[in-house]
Amino acid sequence: MKTFVRTLIAAASLAVLASCASTGENTTDGQTPQDVAGQPGTAQPGQEAYSYGYNQAPGNYESYDASGGGGGGGGGSSGGGGGSSGGGAYAGGGSSGGGAYGGGRTGQAVAGGNVVAPDHIVYFSFDSSEILPEGRPIIESNARNLTKNQRIVTQLEGHTDERGSPEYNIALGERRANAVRQALIALGVSPQQIRVISYGEERPAASGYGEQSYALNRRVEIVY
Amino acid sequence: MKAIERMTKFVAILIGVFGMAIVHAQITLDITKGVDGGGIPISVAPFGGGAPEDVAGIIASDLKRTGKFAPQSAGSRADYSVTGQAAPGGARGYVVQFQLSGAQGGQLLNLSFDVPANQLRPVAHRISDLIYEKLTGEKGLASTRIAYVAGGGGTWYLIVADADGQNPRAILRSSQPIMSPAWSPDATKLAYVSFEGRRPQIVVQDVYSGARRVVSAAPGINGAPAWSPNGQRLAFTLSKDGSPEIYSFDLATQNLTRLTNSSAINTEPVWLPDGSIVFTSDRGGSPQLYRIGPGGGAAQRITFEGDYNARPTVSPDGRYIAFMHRRNGSFHIAVIDLQTRQFRVLTSGGQAESPSFAPNGKMIIYSNGQRLEAVSVDGSVKQDLALRGNGRNPAWAPYGR
Repeated sequence: MKTFVRTLIAAASLAVLASCASTGENTTDGQTPQDVAGQPGTAQPGQEAYSYGYNQAPGNYESYDASGGGGGGGGGSSGGGGGSSGGGAYAGGGSSGGGAYGGGRTGQAVAGGNVVAPDHIVYFSFDSSEILPEGRPIIESNARNLTKNQRIVTQLEGHTDERGSPEYNIALGERRANAVRQALIALGVSPQQIRVISYGEERPAASGYGEQSYALNRRVEIVY
Repeated sequence: MKAIERMTKFVAILIGVFGMAIVHAQITLDITKGVDGGGIPISVAPFGGGAPEDVAGIIASDLKRTGKFAPQSAGSRADYSVTGQAAPGGARGYVVQFQLSGAQGGQLLNLSFDVPANQLRPVAHRISDLIYEKLTGEKGLASTRIAYVAGGGGTWYLIVADADGQNPRAILRSSQPIMSPAWSPDATKLAYVSFEGRRPQIVVQDVYSGARRVVSAAPGINGAPAWSPNGQRLAFTLSKDGSPEIYSFDLATQNLTRLTNSSAINTEPVWLPDGSIVFTSDRGGSPQLYRIGPGGGAAQRITFEGDYNARPTVSPDGRYIAFMHRRNGSFHIAVIDLQTRQFRVLTSGGQAESPSFAPNGKMIIYSNGQRLEAVSVDGSVKQDLALRGNGRNPAWAPYGR
């Protein structure tokens, strides 16, 4: 029974992906995305964010199952209006650009769609933005890459574990990313090659509670 | 059981594929802790008349959720009784009428409403608020709304729901994180942080039309928006000049004023009714709450208990500040009385975060990291909003319109 259902889920997920691919759309829920072009620093229209009035749509949404969904990121489904086929819209579809994030958290998997290689991740202690000795060789090897290839622009993405205030954690994540930035600059990397963003606790690499997960989430990813 | 869950999931995906129906995300509220003695007994009789909503059931559950009433079935001995009818008729579809009576039979309220079918639930909430106000002298919360962030790990939703968690509606869906919704004082707009385009920006969205405006997309952090009491300004956090600092932004003139000047973290501003601002800063070595005047200036520290006090929310009358307080490794919601300086911890542990005051100042909603809970400011009532999905960053709407 389990296997049968699993197969069906897989088939359904494929169907969703196929339907997305065939229309070349990330979402096809019948909503015209709000045109936010022309605003400074906003996403391209049709990309990433869709707003609705309270009484427009969708009336409901598929609740996010924090324990991980079948079908690998199929949680992107939104009820939408008639003719909706929003399911699975974000199953891997969101990984343009930075490329660091694929299908979101799947199951309890630590990887969670995160494709940043281990030699691009610097870990931190609780409540700290101090570079640990284990992080040094990682920063040094990335500094060598960046000084050798000065056309590369790296994005330093600061993260925290889930404890504490989300907005305060944004500030802590930025402090960690800036610590890595300073270390890279000290090793000769041009400041022009470095961008910094903090996601705070919003994009954990590992889901679940406990120090093991927390330690994996307190990190700076050196993305390029 | 497992198989049923999987089957449900499968059906949900199929629905997504064929777009035939909507997956319902149900939120229910349970009182986990009531006042001593369970509250004032009040009997609520089923409303006859054949309306498609259980009006009496909604009223009973609203009254129970306040923690001040213990609804009883009809005929039980109670201090007060509610009777009524919801039947087809009137100009708009249904006529709902109800009476509130005291134990001696004296009539306290006797009102009638003419509503369309889709307003039966709002009318039930309205009746609950009328009863609550009549008997307690305080404004009720049953007709108010909450906003919160759901999802994560690939899709984020900004949800607006009724205060009982019913009618959840996604007003924003994004493949990038959404954070920190804040209601405008008239309860028509939400300011929030969106990472769309893979950079944080502060957006103001009209809740009813969906129209949105990006108000800040500076380099670095754009975070923690908060509306001024008159709705003309937003305070928020920017790190464009180095460390995270508090700024005040005039929505009409687009004038940006920096209010803090410290190499430490300064974030999470909230306005008091007098225009002064309370915010989180680690300038003293650990995150604590500080207060500055409307134009900035010297900061006065206002929290002294423990080594982590952050994410303030202000009661509508400006008397109380609730915030996150760390103690023995777990996070609690605590409150200080600005008049008496009294400090109180309201929750019993876990990972409580992101508190937000109800518009009557009596309850505080917060997230336990996964779901939403609410606690009364005196600590006597605790509600559990059992989401089927998750909920973070709740914001209780003002009374507004």
